[in-house]
Amino acid sequence: MSTKKHVFASILAITMALTTMTACGNSSNNGGTNQGNNSKPTNTTNTTNTTNTTTTAAKDTITALLPPVSGNFQDNFAQMEKEFNEQYPNLTLKIEPASWEDMTQKLDTQVNAGSPPDIAFIGSEGISKYVQQGMLMDITDTVTPEMLQDYDDAPIKYMKNGDGLYGFPGYMEVHALGGNKAFLEEAGIDWKNVQKNGWTYEEFREAIKKGVVKDGNNTSRYGFVFATAGVASKDYLGILIKSAGMPAAFDKDLKFAYTSQKYLGVLKAVRELIDDGSMPKELSSVDAGKRWNMFLTGQTMITGKGLATFENSANKNNEKIKANDGSAVQGSIEAEYIVLPVPSFLGEQPVSSTVVDGYVTFRGKKEPTAEHKENVVKAAYFLASGNVAATTNNDLFAAHITKSGRKAAESMTVNRNPDNVAAVEVLLSHAAPARPDIPVELGAKAIKLQDEVIIPKLQALLANEITPEAMFDAVKAAAIKTFGEDGIVKD
Amino acid sequence: MIQSVRPMKKRKIKGDGAWGYAFIAVALVVFAVFTAYPVASAFIISFQEYKPLGSTFIGFDNYTNTFSDALFWKSVVNTIVYTVLTVPVALFLSFAVAILILPLKKWLQTTFKAVYYLPAVASGVALSVVWLWIFDPMSSGIFNKLIGFFGISNQNWLGSSATAMFSLVFMSWLSSHGTSIIIYLAALLGIDGSYYEAAELDGASFLQKMWYIVIPCLKPTTLFLLVTGVIGSFQVFQNAYLMTGGGPDNATTMVGLLIFNNAFKYFEFGKAAAQSLILAVIIAGIAMVQFKFLGNDVEY
Amino acid sequence: MLFNNHLVNIKMKYVRNTIIIILLSLFALATIFPIYFMLISSFGDPVEAGAMSYSLIPTKISLDSYKFFFDYSIYSFRWLTNSLIVATSIMISNVFFASLAGYAFSKIQFKGKTFLFGLLLCAMMIPYQVTQVPLYILIVNVFNMQNTYSALILPGLVTVYNIFLAKQFMTTIPKEIIESAKIEGCNQFQIYIRMILPLSKTVMAVMAILTFMDSWNTFFWPFLVTNTMDMQTIQVGLKNFRFANTTYFAPMMAGATISALPMFILFFSLQRYFLEGVTVGAVKG
Repeated sequence: MSTKKHVFASILAITMALTTMTACGNSSNNGGTNQGNNSKPTNTTNTTNTTNTTTTAAKDTITALLPPVSGNFQDNFAQMEKEFNEQYPNLTLKIEPASWEDMTQKLDTQVNAGSPPDIAFIGSEGISKYVQQGMLMDITDTVTPEMLQDYDDAPIKYMKNGDGLYGFPGYMEVHALGGNKAFLEEAGIDWKNVQKNGWTYEEFREAIKKGVVKDGNNTSRYGFVFATAGVASKDYLGILIKSAGMPAAFDKDLKFAYTSQKYLGVLKAVRELIDDGSMPKELSSVDAGKRWNMFLTGQTMITGKGLATFENSANKNNEKIKANDGSAVQGSIEAEYIVLPVPSFLGEQPVSSTVVDGYVTFRGKKEPTAEHKENVVKAAYFLASGNVAATTNNDLFAAHITKSGRKAAESMTVNRNPDNVAAVEVLLSHAAPARPDIPVELGAKAIKLQDEVIIPKLQALLANEITPEAMFDAVKAAAIKTFGEDGIVKD
Repeated sequence: MIQSVRPMKKRKIKGDGAWGYAFIAVALVVFAVFTAYPVASAFIISFQEYKPLGSTFIGFDNYTNTFSDALFWKSVVNTIVYTVLTVPVALFLSFAVAILILPLKKWLQTTFKAVYYLPAVASGVALSVVWLWIFDPMSSGIFNKLIGFFGISNQNWLGSSATAMFSLVFMSWLSSHGTSIIIYLAALLGIDGSYYEAAELDGASFLQKMWYIVIPCLKPTTLFLLVTGVIGSFQVFQNAYLMTGGGPDNATTMVGLLIFNNAFKYFEFGKAAAQSLILAVIIAGIAMVQFKFLGNDVEY
Repeated sequence: MLFNNHLVNIKMKYVRNTIIIILLSLFALATIFPIYFMLISSFGDPVEAGAMSYSLIPTKISLDSYKFFFDYSIYSFRWLTNSLIVATSIMISNVFFASLAGYAFSKIQFKGKTFLFGLLLCAMMIPYQVTQVPLYILIVNVFNMQNTYSALILPGLVTVYNIFLAKQFMTTIPKEIIESAKIEGCNQFQIYIRMILPLSKTVMAVMAILTFMDSWNTFFWPFLVTNTMDMQTIQVGLKNFRFANTTYFAPMMAGATISALPMFILFFSLQRYFLEGVTVGAVKG
């Protein structure tokens, strides 16, 4: 009984202690709800910046939020941290891993809270969004000429916005298409020629018609399948319109380009390819996993979007089929992956759609010190050049974009089809140029228009619920509303 | 005697009040710090154009913009449709299952409970992969194979606006009742056996017992499941996000998804906050109606 | 009992139960299919997702994916332990504090009760997408608790959902029990411990399972407030299997299966509490 009493007494004491705490919590809570405006200043003063900006000594920590850029990338984090510390003994690089899908959300929460990491690996198209928030760190005055000279011209431009430079590019990849070599030859397509000289939409349309194989009423193999489920649909349209004379959402005079008749032409083509039966009518819900499965199991001749690393993936599956141990994809056939260009439309020059992702530099609520800034630049450069860049890009089958990376890669071997390497070189030679001249606000408006009008309407177009003309009218109406009559292209 | 009881009673009531506060103290502290404070912040933010480096007050702009935004209303309608199609069905299904499990042998009860509970246990992301396969648009998809037996041609389940919403609803019918079943079962077993005994003495039939004992006794539980179900359904976002991304043509864009997009995709945090508060008011209104009709003060 | 167990005809009872079992089984089949698929895929090879096999019957049974899961990161066990610590703490504190608050809200008269409860409920209606950033600022920038167990546990100490659940169940407890206890001279805390807790075993078991499961499955909050692998929970760790354009499908499913196991154990160890039910009469007497 006495122990019982003891326990009870202590519980009572805790409860009482907690009750006093409630009183405090309660009153502050009421203050917050009732006098919303007054509590705001306390809110800001309390919110201190966690970014490390110590000036004492020369010790410094640089934080980096990194996704699994390549298959083995995250395995090397410890090694990278160690090497960086060996190179700069006073500096510590702290890497946080995150998956691709989730890292944007984490980064955005941190940015909104005013305490982002120093470096994050993101796509270059995200830069304008963060510039607008004022949370990126312009490193133009800190970067050394040697660093700048290390990079190829095209990719580093993607890391610019206006006059500012906001980090270093990691790689520049081309969004291309991928074909099954045997099927292409079966359909009588001279793929080597296409790789060198490209093809027009009309040629492409005929080619994929020939790729279709019917089994009674059912199509057992399509000519072309592109992943368009959900938001991936924007990739599809984005890749096509670049080769239709619209390499960016704005033309040289900063007028919104997607109101041109050429845009309507591409929309019609999107429908035609499905109506021809060359692409499945269910295209609108084919996702990335599905279409790759269709490629490996011989249900399609050409697939998209294609990245260089897919060749690697196809090769691996071929080996498993040869080994015949049941580990290959069920129903898959040996497939040799061939890089193919996107067709050009309406007599326009082909322009390849490129993705530049890189190490972008952020700032916290407090202005970073010059010293910290310099250290961040060192870390970003360390990640985006030399050995680290060479290993990563080789992993991805991606081209090297730094001199130091190429040098480091000389000793590494990659097993790639030389035809494909050459084809990617051709594609990179007419890559869409970066457009740092597009003002941040304009870019943001275009992205919003794309998300709220273009993608939903495109999904409807793919599902055959609206006509190309209806979609074009909707986009045009929204564009006039957003940019005004004078802000759009008319032809 | 009477005189001595009176002051005692008074003291007791007073004492009870203190106990009441003591019992909810921890809950209130946690609530104040981790919920009320963020909500109050969100309220302030809803009058701002939020920027991490310094927001500007813009008055009611976020609210007026939301009210004139056609997409917001479309998403509200979508959410209501989704809620009306899922919540009552889920309630009915779980109620029926809970009742049907009762007369079975113990080991059967346990097995069925475990089975129905399973989908709640497994991670949503892993399950959405499976559901994408079920709704696969090609003839290899499970659903398409199934309707193929009846001679119906392939449906583009998630890709066409005619079926996308239905697909999400169907998915919820089959995967979101585990929790409700368990709660209903617990409530059913909490009904005092003496009620049934008394009714049996009066010769009550199964249906009469259902109507006069089970349904009234389960009212607080039903109210709980209904209110939390509606709240959950109004905030639903993961399924639409993972399965359709809100498409096609915004046919499955729910308010939760819209708020998420505004907050993170477009960085319009103030607008997202304003929309959440509007949403909260809508839900609170619905909840009040539910409380009114299902009454909360069932006491015995 | 609700069902007349002393049906006149034994055969009738047999037929009735058979029909019920068939109905329940059909529904169960549909429910369990995704789980079945999760399980069989976890026995596949650790290959990438584009390569996933859409097949109902496993072509190959291997435990490689489980091995891959544990070999993939030296932290695999650590993730499980972290989840266990976090979910258990949250479960215990919820069961205790929510039932306490639920009892107060349902049976004790005090000023401002309805208002306070209404306030709690309203807070539940604000979508978390919006409170997330202020909460993050609070935990990380103000309290400076990032990457600690406190940051993972504190915001979930007691949820409104559980208070509401407890309150709804406790309203059905007969008043007379409490009254008679009072006459015997018990104070409210004694009543709670001696009367209410035994009568609420069922709802507390339910609460324990639901809370544990919810906390175990939470992904986003732990993901936000942890920044080293050794502090991540299993759900955060699992997501690391998802790569750029590929997913290690089978190991992900293996991970999902592994992460579901503790909940099974908890379910089966607690299920007897809500199989038996509680008879108020027994406690009364």
